[in-house]
Order: sequence, then C-alpha cells, then structure tokens
Amino acid sequence: MEAVLTIRGLTKRYGSTVALDHVDLDVQRGEIFALLGPNGAGKTTLINIVAGLTRPTSGSARVLGHDVIDDYRFTRRAVGLVPQEINFDPFFTVSEALRFQAGYFGVRLTEDRLAEILQALDLWTKRDAGSRTLSGGMKRRLLIGKALVHAPQVLFLDEPTAGVDVEMRQSLWRYVRTLQARGTSIVLTTHYLEEAEELAERIAIVDHGKLLLTERKEDLLRRYSEKTLTISLTARLVTLPESLRTIGAQLAANGLSLSITAPPGEDLGRALAAVAAAGVAVRDVETHRARLEDIFVSLLHQGAAA
Amino acid sequence: MISRGLRTLFEKEVLRFMRVAGQTLLSPLITTALYFIVFGYSIGGRLHDIQGVPYSRFLVPGLITLGVISNAFLNTASSLFMMKMQGTLIDLLVTPLSYAEVLAGFLGAAVVRALLVGALTWLVAAIFTGFAVAHPLLLLLDLLLISIAFGAMGLCVAIWADKFEQVNFVPTFVITPLTFLGGVFTSVSMLPTALRRLTLANPIFYLVDSVRFAMLGIADSRPEIGLLLLGVLCAASLALALQLLRSGYKLRG
Repeated sequence: MEAVLTIRGLTKRYGSTVALDHVDLDVQRGEIFALLGPNGAGKTTLINIVAGLTRPTSGSARVLGHDVIDDYRFTRRAVGLVPQEINFDPFFTVSEALRFQAGYFGVRLTEDRLAEILQALDLWTKRDAGSRTLSGGMKRRLLIGKALVHAPQVLFLDEPTAGVDVEMRQSLWRYVRTLQARGTSIVLTTHYLEEAEELAERIAIVDHGKLLLTERKEDLLRRYSEKTLTISLTARLVTLPESLRTIGAQLAANGLSLSITAPPGEDLGRALAAVAAAGVAVRDVETHRARLEDIFVSLLHQGAAA
Repeated sequence: MISRGLRTLFEKEVLRFMRVAGQTLLSPLITTALYFIVFGYSIGGRLHDIQGVPYSRFLVPGLITLGVISNAFLNTASSLFMMKMQGTLIDLLVTPLSYAEVLAGFLGAAVVRALLVGALTWLVAAIFTGFAVAHPLLLLLDLLLISIAFGAMGLCVAIWADKFEQVNFVPTFVITPLTFLGGVFTSVSMLPTALRRLTLANPIFYLVDSVRFAMLGIADSRPEIGLLLLGVLCAASLALALQLLRSGYKLRG
C-alpha cells in the first residue's frame, strides 16, 4: 500500500514542554486512521504540523512524498483540516464561506459540488443563512464542508463530532465512509472512543507527545482485550465444581450465575467445554469483550507506570 | 497572472468592508467632511490665502491624505486581527496561497477602501472648492503608495497585536498625532520656529506635502522628497509584512 502521510522523528517543543517527541507514523491511502490520546497528548500538534499551522522543532512530515515545509503549496492542496475549535466569519453566509474557501485553493466551486457538500452535511436549507445564525452543530458541519471544498486526498478530522447530536454523528460517519470509498485517507482524533472503534481501521495511541502504539483495530482488540463468559444457571449452585475452579470460574453470591474470563489471545472454547463436562444446567450464555475504551485506559496506565 | 486564490482573498476582503459600508466608507467620509466644513469652509474664510490658494482649498489634500492613511491601515489591521480572534485565520493558513499572495490580497482591498474614501472626500470638497487637479497622475501614484505603505503597516500591527487595544495603539498614538502635526491643517510657513522644526522632522509632512503639490501645484518642500520617502516607506513596510508572514510570527505555532 502507498503511504499518503509519512512522519519521521517529528518533534515539537514549546520551551521546556515537549508536545511531540520523535514520532514516526505512516498513514496509507484510503484508510481511516484514528489518533487517540488524552487532552494535551500531542494529537492536535501533530495534525497542525501536517496542515501547516505549526512548525516542527525537528523531524519531518511528508504528504504524498512532499515535505510539508519545503513544498507547502503542494501538500496543502492535498490536505483538508477540520479544526477542533469552532470558528466562523460573521460577515458571510454558508455558501459564501464555502466558495471563498474553495477559491483560496484555486478551485471554482460548481453549483453541483456545492449542493453535494451542503446536502451531505445537512446544511442545504441554511445555504444563504449567515454563519453567525447557525447552531453549534451546524457551525461544526460548516467546518467540515470548508475542509472538503478542494477534494483533499488526506482529511484530518480533529474531534469532528464534539457537540454534534447522535443522529447527525451517525450521518457524518456515513459520509466519512463515502469519502473513504472514493479514496480519501482520513485521520481522525476523537474523545469518543466508540467513534474510533466504529470507523477506524488502524489506531495510534499518543500520550505525553509519544506514540505508545500503532495497530490494526482488530489486532489491538484481540491482543489486549479479555473476554468474559457469563453463564446463567437453571438451578442454584452451592459449590463450584473443582474442574471449573481450576480454570478460574467464579460463582456469583446468589449461586445463579458463574463467570469465566479468558486472557487476551485465548478463546472461550476451553471454558465452554469445561462447563459442559461439569454437567452444570445452563439457562443462558453471555459473552463480553473489552471495548477500545477499556484498552485505551489500561494502555495509558501502563504508559504512566513505565 | 493573478491566481484564483489571490483573487478570492481580494474579493472576500472587499466584500467584508462593503458589508459594513456605513462604518468603513460613510463614517470616515463624514469625519473628514466635518473637518472640511468646520476648519475649511467656516473658519477658513477668515484666514489668508496660502501661496495664493484659499485656505478651504489648501486643506483638502491633507484631509484626503488623512483619510487614505487611516483607512488603509484600519482595513488590514482590523480584518486580520478579527480573523485571529475569531479563529478564521486558520482557513487562510492551511491554504496553498503564497505569502506574497496573502499580502497582495489584503493590500489590494485596503487600497480599494482607502482610495474610495479619498475619492469621496475629494468629491465632497470639490463641490465647494473646485475640481481642478494640478498633477492627476502624481496624485494617483502618491495615494496608491500611501495606501500600500499604511496597509502593510496595518497588517504588521495586526500580526503583532494580542489585544484590540494594541491594534488601536498605532493609529491613536502614532498616526493621528503625526498626521495632525504633519501639515494637514497648516503650512510650515504659518508655524512658530519650534513647531516648524518638529514638522520638518515628521515624515507624514512630506507625504501630505507631496499630495498637496499633486493636487494644487504648491508645496512647502521639494515634492520629490515626499515621493522618495513614500518609496522607502513602501519598500520597508512591505518587506517587514512579508517577513512576518513568512516567519509565521504569532500566526503559526
């Protein structure tokens, strides 16, 4: 696969504060890549360096093989940025804001393209409204529209759905997938881990300016997540059979359910077989797999302890 | 060739000040018209002619220069500073526009606003004092260079400023005093010796004098000094503005 974004040794210092510490990262063409980390981890700094809003202290960032500083006119045409902070120009309408933004990139926004963007972002009825009159969610969607007017090959979404309602968030996710299907690479930072879990193919976790890991989402979930089997029983069990105790099963205080946890990387087949062999009467079975949120918290704790 | 990006920035900046024309065009026009009516038309009648020109007519080039300087400065300063405060500057910083294009886009709009205010002031005054202009091409060149120089200065101040107060600092404490003491209302021959020396050390005096020579054909100094000074002022302010944009000072983290 072709890397659309290549970051090597990227470092940013503000005085004695290290915002980014020798980060290496590749983003492939057409993938959705999530950058996760707590507030102040360095996610926005990384995105801002690629978009041209921040200058790195050392290291390099290349978009489609072009350096973001030496060849900024090329890389900025290839990049779209949805910034974290909502901004709007009270002098102009929604359509004017989009036309001007396209014009800065040397693009004439056709009526069809304008309509496509406005409809995808559910802003069509607001096209002639002043930016000041939009709700918070609409202003955020207008930011997304401005980032898309020049059809960027790499789109950075820095907390794109903060303050956007659930229905609109789902609709934005669908649009992000449409963009991906057209070949756009998407780098997403989000506080909603479910968003990363839902959308991203690969995930990087950043903390204190350092990249803790980069993994495919499935590998990350598989490698780090424990699976728990909860079995409801038809009759109260007074004593846990020895065969189940040895595999770590735990009986609930009321004796009506037991749970068995398989460590990361192991499946639950052995546990199920042991339950069947023990002759326990089963009413229902439930499995729970740790979500990205659990993994994220655990990795950050490991990072902090290291 | 002018790129679409530069053209867009220019059009957006012109549209911005046209959307609030009452504040950006009408208000300065009324202010300078009041100066003219009070100092020129009312009191001026009691004053002697200066170098054969009635005082009301003598006043017009200074008032035009005052309007052009203030509006060129304020257009770039307020626009860029508001973009900084609203966060919309990001929209511009992520684009492939070159630093020279950004500068040209802002300056182009500042020149249009400044020349519009200058032309409207002249029209109002000309109704009372006559439409004759001694050297029209020189006048156009003078006003063009003045608006470029002060538009570029406005951009520099907006880049540097962190608060609105700082944006207003330069027009309030530098430009207005220098302009008022720069021969807008008086000829140096009318001034006491100490004030005359001060006026001759004031660069704005030579700009006003050059505009006065272009409009009326009279001057206190040699007109080429004003033009030369304008050239230097333009080159210096353009170079500084371009360098600030290129360096990313207070714009890019």
